[in-house]
Amino acid sequence: MTTKEKLITHVLAGEPVGSRSKVTVVGVGMVGMASAVSVLLKDLCDELCLIDVMEDKLKGEVMDLQHGSLFCKTHKIVGDKDYSTTAHSKVVVVTAGARQQEGESRLNLVQRNVNIFKFIIPQIVKYSPNAILLVVSNPVDILTYVAWKLSGFPRHRVIGSGTNLDSGRFRHLMGEKLHLHPSSCHGWIIGEHGDSSVPVWSGVNVAGVSLKGLNPDMGTDADKEDWKHVHKMVVNGAYEVIKLKGYTSWAIGLSVADLVESILKNLHKVHPVSTLVKVRRPYARSPSAKMGQMQCCVLYHCLWL
Amino acid sequence: LVLNWATVYQAIFTNCTVKLITPMASGPAEPPRNKVTVVGVGMVGMACAVSILLRDLADELALVDVMEDKLKGEMMDLQHGSLFLKTSKIVADKDYAVTANSRIVVVTAGVRQQEGESRLNLVQRNVNIFKHIIPQIVKHSPNCTLIVVSNPVDVLTYVTWKLSGLPKHRVIGSGTNLDSARFRFLMAERLGIHATSFNGWVLGEHGDTSVPVWSGVSVAGVNLQKLNPEFGLDGDKEDWKATHKEVVDSAYEVIKLKGYTNWAIGLSVADLTESIIKNMSRIHPVSTMVKDMYGIGEEVFLSLPCVLNSNGVGSVINMTLTDAEVGQLKKSADTLWGIQKDLKDV
Repeated sequence: MTTKEKLITHVLAGEPVGSRSKVTVVGVGMVGMASAVSVLLKDLCDELCLIDVMEDKLKGEVMDLQHGSLFCKTHKIVGDKDYSTTAHSKVVVVTAGARQQEGESRLNLVQRNVNIFKFIIPQIVKYSPNAILLVVSNPVDILTYVAWKLSGFPRHRVIGSGTNLDSGRFRHLMGEKLHLHPSSCHGWIIGEHGDSSVPVWSGVNVAGVSLKGLNPDMGTDADKEDWKHVHKMVVNGAYEVIKLKGYTSWAIGLSVADLVESILKNLHKVHPVSTLVKVRRPYARSPSAKMGQMQCCVLYHCLWL
Repeated sequence: LVLNWATVYQAIFTNCTVKLITPMASGPAEPPRNKVTVVGVGMVGMACAVSILLRDLADELALVDVMEDKLKGEMMDLQHGSLFLKTSKIVADKDYAVTANSRIVVVTAGVRQQEGESRLNLVQRNVNIFKHIIPQIVKHSPNCTLIVVSNPVDVLTYVTWKLSGLPKHRVIGSGTNLDSARFRFLMAERLGIHATSFNGWVLGEHGDTSVPVWSGVSVAGVNLQKLNPEFGLDGDKEDWKATHKEVVDSAYEVIKLKGYTNWAIGLSVADLTESIIKNMSRIHPVSTMVKDMYGIGEEVFLSLPCVLNSNGVGSVINMTLTDAEVGQLKKSADTLWGIQKDLKDV
């Protein structure tokens, strides 16, 4: 008899039932790993799967996380180039994609990422046909649309991380000067993630007290307090961090874990995420479909608007 | 540009604050009660920082480094996630004044081994860095507990202890905490159980000559060496010894694959930090001053099971070791002293 056989008498023959809350992260770059670690440290999944094309880097990252298993409650951490490893995922976080080269047009970047997604998305769908896709790669609103089209998923199962992080940054800046925790500062930034995001000034409040009620010029050019500048700081925040350390990772990783938590725990929390906003323009011949941010009730199964 | 924004900030918020908020408490802000500083914002330092943040261990986190842009970028990136965290103050500066009043200081700074470089040379280069870092830390946080992570950790913990002038129970090396974690994970995998249910200790020098205490390995109180008398020995048909070798090799393997290791060490440092901050008196294998134990006559730091609480190392468990295991510890002590005695300015 081996030591194992002497030590352990099996009650249940064979392996236990498969994972119930599996999360896959596609892409093990800085953003992917920050997302993975945040999900891991929040005890959100019983299986974590990593996917990438760079096999050595992928294997190294999987091993490094596994070595921390003693300190975590996620028993199974796996990774492979082959998408069969991702099977039966509840949530798939897509961080893969090319970064903008210097002087490259957004259109060109998008086309390059479409080509990458054309490979990734069908494979995800093949092995996890009931998963919820969370797209992080930029430009996120366009790529969420691309992922939706390529996946053939119903609209409620494809989400873009969108302005969840912008809103987080906004609330952080609000909190800094009011000397309050960001969770007590309420403010929503919606619309396109990036330069043209929309701060909803009328909704900015603390303990239900509308700040625009205290300062009616808030968000306008006439505003002596120049709140508009706070929004500008949110927009520039990402560029500043990229200039200083080369990329951003921790904040987006935390915001991804926040979204994954709401999905896996069926929390019915409201998050600003990128979802399909089909707009019927009164004077157009046909409705145009585009992805935009709306407040969404993030549920286990579906999205409410 | 920064000054401009600061002025705008003041203008924006003063008016709103006055209308919105009525102050209750007057006087200066309360000092932090559980402040943690991380020195070095490389991969290891940031993994430690993020693990500590996600475990809600600190009410203030300070980062220090010499690379100012990288430092500021990392600080901003963490701050941008503050909505999702419970550490309300995250600061960073090149100037160590920012680290004042820390309970715990994690030292990850230092240079990596160049190709073909001798260990002694690497250590001397790191001594020169620590000569700058450690006195500044102690100046601003005279009551802190230091956790040294930089390699070679046992030697650098000694160096830190000497340079800091702190009592020995306040200077810890991360030591074989990670080796033990890897050991427990790999062994548990073989048995199909969770690492926390597998009890085993890897002690001594962190690295190639660490000592797995085979006689102490157990699951649910069942001693595995009693089940299998060959356990951990060379003749063992099941070759459990190979698993310890895997532990030693795993760091190199991860470095070969991704260039460095960081997540596991970050999680293990957060684990140590938790025991100290919460005064838990949990036992961890960390590097501590072992002079006069096991017949070791020199001032060297090796990993033994240490009870960690608010004091730092409250006490050390007297491990029952075989003669061979004690011999290995003594040998490591000699090797370490061989390096330490030639160090300048310590």
